[in-house]
Amino acid sequence: MESTLSSLIAASEKGDRSATEALFSTLYSELHRLAKQELARHGVAVTLSVTTLLHEAYLDMAARDGPSFPDQARFMGYAARVMRGLIIDHARSRQAQKRGGLFEITSLGSEPAENAIDDRELSRISDALDKLAEVEPFLAEVVDLKFFCGFSFAEIAGMRNLSERTVQRMWEKARIYLHRQLRNSSV
Amino acid sequence: MSTQDADQWQILSPYLDQALSLSDEERAHWLLSLDEDDSGLAAQLRELLDEHRAAEQEGFLKTGPGWNAGPNLTGQTIGAYQLISPIGQGGMGSLWLAERSDGRFERRCALKFLNIALVGHIGEERFKREGTILARLSHPNIAELVDAGVSPSGQPYLVLEYVEGEHIDQYCDNHRLGVEARIRLFLETLLAVAHAHANLIVHRDLKPSNVIVRKDGTVKLLDFGIAKLLADQGGPAEATELTLEGGRALTPHFAAPEQLTGATITTATDVYALGVLLCVLLTGQHPAGSAPRSPADLVKATVEMESPRLSDLVMSVGSRATAEKRATTSEKLRRLFRGDLDTIVNKTLKKDPQERYASVTAFADDLRRFLRHEMISARPDTMAYRARKFVRRNRTTVVLSTLALIAAIGGVAGTLIQAQTARTQRDLAFRERDRATRITDFMTGMFKVSDPNENAAKDVTAREILDKASEDINTGLEKDPEVRAQMMHAMGNVYTNLGLYERAQSLLERAIEVNRAARGTWDPETLSTMDTLGGTLVQQGRYAEAEKIQRGALEGQRRILGPEHPDTLVTMGDLAGTLALEGRLEESEKLGREVLEKQRRVLGAENRHTIVSMDTLAATLGLEGRLVESQRLEGETIDLERRLYGPDHLGTLMSMANQADTLYLMGKYAEARQLLQQTFDIQRRVLAANHPETARTIYNLGCVAARSGKSDEAFSLLGQAIDHLSPRTVPKVDNDPDLNSLHGDPRFAKLVAHAARRHVSEARCPL
Repeated sequence: MESTLSSLIAASEKGDRSATEALFSTLYSELHRLAKQELARHGVAVTLSVTTLLHEAYLDMAARDGPSFPDQARFMGYAARVMRGLIIDHARSRQAQKRGGLFEITSLGSEPAENAIDDRELSRISDALDKLAEVEPFLAEVVDLKFFCGFSFAEIAGMRNLSERTVQRMWEKARIYLHRQLRNSSV
Repeated sequence: MSTQDADQWQILSPYLDQALSLSDEERAHWLLSLDEDDSGLAAQLRELLDEHRAAEQEGFLKTGPGWNAGPNLTGQTIGAYQLISPIGQGGMGSLWLAERSDGRFERRCALKFLNIALVGHIGEERFKREGTILARLSHPNIAELVDAGVSPSGQPYLVLEYVEGEHIDQYCDNHRLGVEARIRLFLETLLAVAHAHANLIVHRDLKPSNVIVRKDGTVKLLDFGIAKLLADQGGPAEATELTLEGGRALTPHFAAPEQLTGATITTATDVYALGVLLCVLLTGQHPAGSAPRSPADLVKATVEMESPRLSDLVMSVGSRATAEKRATTSEKLRRLFRGDLDTIVNKTLKKDPQERYASVTAFADDLRRFLRHEMISARPDTMAYRARKFVRRNRTTVVLSTLALIAAIGGVAGTLIQAQTARTQRDLAFRERDRATRITDFMTGMFKVSDPNENAAKDVTAREILDKASEDINTGLEKDPEVRAQMMHAMGNVYTNLGLYERAQSLLERAIEVNRAARGTWDPETLSTMDTLGGTLVQQGRYAEAEKIQRGALEGQRRILGPEHPDTLVTMGDLAGTLALEGRLEESEKLGREVLEKQRRVLGAENRHTIVSMDTLAATLGLEGRLVESQRLEGETIDLERRLYGPDHLGTLMSMANQADTLYLMGKYAEARQLLQQTFDIQRRVLAANHPETARTIYNLGCVAARSGKSDEAFSLLGQAIDHLSPRTVPKVDNDPDLNSLHGDPRFAKLVAHAARRHVSEARCPL
């Protein structure tokens, strides 16, 4: 953590690829640590909101890194991608081990449980999302923020300085893309 | 997707944007016309739109992943209940669908595990006992608490009536309910909360996910009193951590300031949360706006920032979608919210619990009045802002010069001596001579401000004389408390005119004390000083205190001096002014007209007190929105004042400032500006540079500049004004509707912070 996240972000934005890698791996371990810590604190049968976790991560890291730390909107752009990686890795390892592991991926919110996505589906969504990121990276980012991290349209609009309508349209487009991709790959 | 597919997507993408921004009907037309240009493209688009429909129907990506700790509990038995499936998740814990495992009742219920981090491992006995109290809360709109217990692993749980339905905000949006229907539904919520309050149970965690609307349209409130159950657990040693945790769990979005600062929770706490809920239902937005915020930012906003008005919220990002969900347009929404609904919601969101509705029932009553198009009880805040722009004058307007000072203070003494000697009773003669000597001595002392030996060349200002005299009077003239009190009163007046309200206040308080001790509570001088003190409090924005003391004085004067005595009328007139500033315009107008009629009769139309009452009444009419009447009366006032006292007189200036504000409200910006500029030019000449009245004129000039689109000028003027206004009268800039046009400007935030700092510095300094 000594080469600070702020400096890694700065270097990464100038095109330093190794800095980008270091940034993502640092963020990964930070978020992982935080998730573990939070889950340990909360006890049985509690589902953590990813959004809350990210907010806390931001506050935590910004406090440590000092005033040069990027604003929350920029931070979330990076953190959302890392968060997806973390969720997917976990889902995959669960598939491998069948059970156990540190935490369990479940549906969030008060939706009925039938809507919950299983680990395999999650993994396929992530693959399709990687492809989308090559074609329209902004759409992919909206999915990371909305689906994996649970931000609302309004929040994303605020972060990216877009209108809520635009974000919603981006989201719908991404859904079309991913839905088609998943349908094609399952055939 | 192959490269080919990717290329194809790139082509289709902009068309898709267009297609998705159209309504179903428009889209069909659009596709038809596209068919003619490029049928292949149209076909591909149709395919993608079908994909969209399919995704929509499946609820594709609707539910994101969350992280769950621990093993899957499905099928396990907790107490007498078997867990069927998880239903949801909240800050307080997870929720399961459950049924009785012993088959004694068919009914399904919801079993809620409480977050261990929040409750800790607590005593089963205590938890059950608390649960029983809540279980007694029986109301058709409140989900029943069936049971409470602690699982073998030590996790506390509650068993609740299972309620199927939608969160109230989703229900309203999904059914495209109009504003009135939303309010009616919300009123049902209020009924339930009022019932709980009547049973001394505060909800503490009201938010959309705790207000469920069932398919049949009935409202059910969940989790009543559970937040308290959580907060009360644990000993005092853990209190800090628990409070912190509590803050987190209670979603800062709906938490009242007192919940975040750890102050006392009362029924007013629920009123606040209900206000936020109503705001969300009506505008689709949280009062703090839709921008992303960390919990810390939100806490800061809740505790420190003034809430915006509904009518402004509805014009922000996404307003069209918001309006569509309410089956109307955003402009219509804005018009509907402006006024009473703005005022009602604003009253629920006050930072100070005491300023909110006194009860949920009072809140509900106002909403019902709104629906019936009747007058609501809450007074608009804009009134208060407007009121700050009006000038309340003081009765004795003295422009400070040494001469005036001597006249003011010496005059008191002189009159007193004359009055006393007029009685010419032999046995008093010696005492009177002594008194005259004492006064002369005191006044001579007043001018010994600087030591001639030390600083011979220094000019002595009137201010220095006054400062010294007000010090000396604390100890001087001790043998003659009556003269002492009158001198203090006179000096208090002068300080008020100088805009040094705190100094004035302490002198006047002391004067009342001294005179009371010497001549009693009902002495006319005591009563008149009380009225003056009220005036000084008004200048500081302390209207309620002012009203109280002026009412006290009036009561006394009516009894001792009679209802039409000039002093009585002066106090009545002052009270009318105070009431206007408190927003009680009807009362103020009634009283003001009565005073004016009596003064014209008793004192004459050109008496200075009569003229002051004209100005007050004109200002009140302005606040009531009766601008033409106000302008006419103020015009008459100014003419009289110019003729009788001249254009530089403070009273003339105050009337001019008030008239300018009326012109401003009439939309006559050029005239308003001209009059304010004229006022300012004179004030600059006759008042100290930092006099609050001058600052007020500058502030109002800033508002006119903002309204006329001259933002550079506006920011410069407003900044200056805020520096010099007395802190309590600094307007809440971020909520001043006259400055709406500046909101987009980055400098505005700085201005808000500047004003807030002035408020804060006031809050910290002791009175």
